[in-house]
Amino acid sequence: MSQLGKIADSVDRYNRFVAAEVARARSDRKFAAELRARWAALRASVTMTRSPTGTPLPRLALPDTDEPGAIAEYLFGQGFPGQFPYATAAYREMYLDHETGTGEEPMRLFAGLGLAEDTNARFKYLSRHQKSLRLSTAFDGPTLYGLDSDHAGVLGKVGEGGVAIDTVEDMGRLFAGFDLTRKDASVSMTMNAPAPVILAMFIAAAKRRFGAGCVPNLRGTIQADMLKEVQAQNEVIFPVDASLRFLCDMIEWCVPNMPRWYPVSISGYHIAEAGATPVQQAAFTLSNGFTYAGLLQARGADINAFGPRLSFFLDCSLDVEYLVLGRVCRRIWAIGLRDVFGAGPKAQILKLHTQTSGRSLIAAEFQNNLTRTAVELMLAYMNYTNSCHSNSADEPFTTPTEKYALLASHGQSILLEESGLFKHTMNLFGGAPGLLALERQVEQRILSVFREMDTLGGVIAAMEQRYQRSQIQESGHRIETQIYSGERPVIGLNKYVSDEPMPSVPLARTSPKKQRLQVERLRAFKRRHAKTAPAALQRLAHVARGGGNVFAELVDTVEVCSLGQITACLADVVGKFRPMV
Amino acid sequence: MAVALNPRRAAHPARAPRVPLRILTAVPICDGHDSAVTTINIELARHGIEVIYLGYHQSVSAIARAAVQEDVNVVGLSSYNGGHIIFFKEVADQLRHSGNGDIPVFGGGGGTITKADERIMRRQGTDRIFFAGTPLKDIMTIIQRDYARTAKPNAKFKGDRSLARAITLVEQNLSARRPPRVIPARRQGRGFVVGIAGPGGAGKSTLIDELTSRFLRQHPTGRIAILANDPSHPDTGGAILGDRVSAIYAQDDRVFFRSLATRGSLTGLSAATPAAIGILQQSGEFDLILVESVGVGQESDPFGSFGQSRRLTDAVLFVLAPHYGGLIQLQKIALLNGADLVALNKCDHPMARTAQAEIQARLNQNGRGQVLHSTTAARHFDPGVDALFAAIQALGSARGRTGGAR
Repeated sequence: MSQLGKIADSVDRYNRFVAAEVARARSDRKFAAELRARWAALRASVTMTRSPTGTPLPRLALPDTDEPGAIAEYLFGQGFPGQFPYATAAYREMYLDHETGTGEEPMRLFAGLGLAEDTNARFKYLSRHQKSLRLSTAFDGPTLYGLDSDHAGVLGKVGEGGVAIDTVEDMGRLFAGFDLTRKDASVSMTMNAPAPVILAMFIAAAKRRFGAGCVPNLRGTIQADMLKEVQAQNEVIFPVDASLRFLCDMIEWCVPNMPRWYPVSISGYHIAEAGATPVQQAAFTLSNGFTYAGLLQARGADINAFGPRLSFFLDCSLDVEYLVLGRVCRRIWAIGLRDVFGAGPKAQILKLHTQTSGRSLIAAEFQNNLTRTAVELMLAYMNYTNSCHSNSADEPFTTPTEKYALLASHGQSILLEESGLFKHTMNLFGGAPGLLALERQVEQRILSVFREMDTLGGVIAAMEQRYQRSQIQESGHRIETQIYSGERPVIGLNKYVSDEPMPSVPLARTSPKKQRLQVERLRAFKRRHAKTAPAALQRLAHVARGGGNVFAELVDTVEVCSLGQITACLADVVGKFRPMV
Repeated sequence: MAVALNPRRAAHPARAPRVPLRILTAVPICDGHDSAVTTINIELARHGIEVIYLGYHQSVSAIARAAVQEDVNVVGLSSYNGGHIIFFKEVADQLRHSGNGDIPVFGGGGGTITKADERIMRRQGTDRIFFAGTPLKDIMTIIQRDYARTAKPNAKFKGDRSLARAITLVEQNLSARRPPRVIPARRQGRGFVVGIAGPGGAGKSTLIDELTSRFLRQHPTGRIAILANDPSHPDTGGAILGDRVSAIYAQDDRVFFRSLATRGSLTGLSAATPAAIGILQQSGEFDLILVESVGVGQESDPFGSFGQSRRLTDAVLFVLAPHYGGLIQLQKIALLNGADLVALNKCDHPMARTAQAEIQARLNQNGRGQVLHSTTAARHFDPGVDALFAAIQALGSARGRTGGAR
């Protein structure tokens, strides 16, 4: 049963409520007086700061008005930063305290290459200037598909495009030397179908290093968004119902045991990269989020317990809608969770990670990619994203090399620390006429996608009818056609093309020697645990068959079993995913 | 890039209709990037080519097995997340080592495969790499020019390739009605042949795959063959033969899976089907042979269920989904009279209850004791599919064929 229709209705109802409050503010003197008093108090709470050239500035910019209707429009329609409906921002102050060092950096750079120790070295290189610890992990193909590095035919993929993780010991090497129990440490893992196994390895490795008591202190995010995998990214191992069950098992375990962990990152990134328009990205991502909330509620979980642990991940490309996409998503999520799911304030806040668009980067005259990423970064920060990754210019042909990864990181520092754009005043742009016009259009178009999916029976039913896939593919095809015809200019590709030959650029590749080393390590692990692994797998299969919480068991299984052994064991119980055609 | 056409073909434009090229396309293991290959598939089919699409995340052995069983002219791989040097080499090696080195391998991977990679890959057995920016038109011209060659008719092959080759020869030369006797039967038992028909979208392919999984589980040494018919495009002669994508249990050496394009035949089956069945039966390899028709209409009878002469298969399974459109429509479906087994698939649909009642009543009119099987093939381990598989085996035993019940 779908709630998408109800959610769309609740947003429309809320918009009517805002309009009514604006009218009341203009007609009801008592209400107008209340609003003015509240507004005056809010404005009084804003402290002043000074730019380096001496210009005095408020730390928070608010509409310069005293008119009760405009005040109501702002407070109810947009929301004071950190207040419902959160269009302005999730929190009252963001990005401001770089110079004083009290805030946490939003920059979060995704890295992963070679073996665990190679990625560990890249983490150290990237984090050497960061005050807080931000480790974001990319995994290689075999790990993403739940296969061991010694699986037939995967050797060439070991350590390519991400780090190879087969066992709890690899996980230990990956984060060696980092204090993961620090209050300002945060780890993120781009891992989906095998996410429960990988998170279990992370927990087991942390327990080995910091003791069993460390688990509640571990902070971070694991992507684990299986709906978008089926809709766009194609990294699916188990049938949909089993995939969702394993995910919900993990979330339910994490909520009480890892209160600082985000066990799912509901992701539009891959949907957009596969070709979706910004509106489709937002509509499919939000509706996937509402579906997870519904599934967990149906299992008896409390929305106010798990709601604050859901997080989101959006793509930011160059289309104009990206000016407002984060703002609109926060607003729809907050209204839907409050009015349809009955969630309290903490669960209403959409926590957003943004990544600049990989699809927008091209190989031809690839240094232009630096500019593309810079513009996208600016759009992402204008949406007050909670964290952000900037792509490296060399990504169209290689896993980022050190040089371009550093330039990508410096791009964020230039925007946030060198430029004055986000440093002194919060909310420089909110409420601008262009943004408001876009917000209304984008919101309505998202709601109409919700209603279309509602008539199909909701997200999962629509997915089984290949609705999302067909929409994404159609949009992707349209982009390609527009590029081909020149309607969509891509500098260096279909406009202002120079005849310069492609410069030779260094590639980050994993050597066959390292790939063989990974296989040797894995085989040694399997030999050492040959006696204990079968019983551990039997226990896991028993829990999976009996309907118990698989994640609780996995935390033990990973002590003696590899990723591939566990995947095979679970596939025996629940079957394999059959791709849709 | 200008590409010269084959001068010989250009000189004889009015030759007899060309035999369509057959290409296997796939994305390597641990890679889910299927948007490029999907575009290429459509373009290939538009150019009159039969594309057997295997899907993304495909292993070396799955690709080699499919190339052999489908007896393709060439294999095309679309690789986007690295590891291509080793992967392409392993595919070429596996084909060569199994005596099928005549099947070339080409590939593409946008910006991820460099010129330096290409030099290594060509040395290691890859025929060609298409780089980013090569116009689709040029890719098509090169494929049609360079990969039209096939093995000579008298070339000797072993194992599944010899079966596959024999079927190709029948497809190419349909005037030869008698199946070539190429395979000496290794053991007794010609295998129980079941024809599977039903409207497009009823879930025939998924159901066949689920039946395959039950066969493999219950017969640890037996072999099963599947002939999957898909329509050729009437204008271009091309086809996208996509049944392998959802056939996840066909990735096993005990399964022989062959996709057949109808090539102008309007019966719901390729004209080569009778001979292909004969070839599979003669080989003595298979306990069970499943023949899937293309999606068929109300009047269709692809397996000759009503014919006075010999029926094409030992039994016919008719599959339909709850959306058949009402009682009158149901009355018109001829195969509901002719089928030995009837399955209502997609029984998780809300319409299923009504459909069950209406179809059972329709079958009762026939007075043949036909039982309606209710299945949900998309659900793994569906008990309805278990019952259907048991019924197929029972029918096989009753007709004196193994049907896998050895």
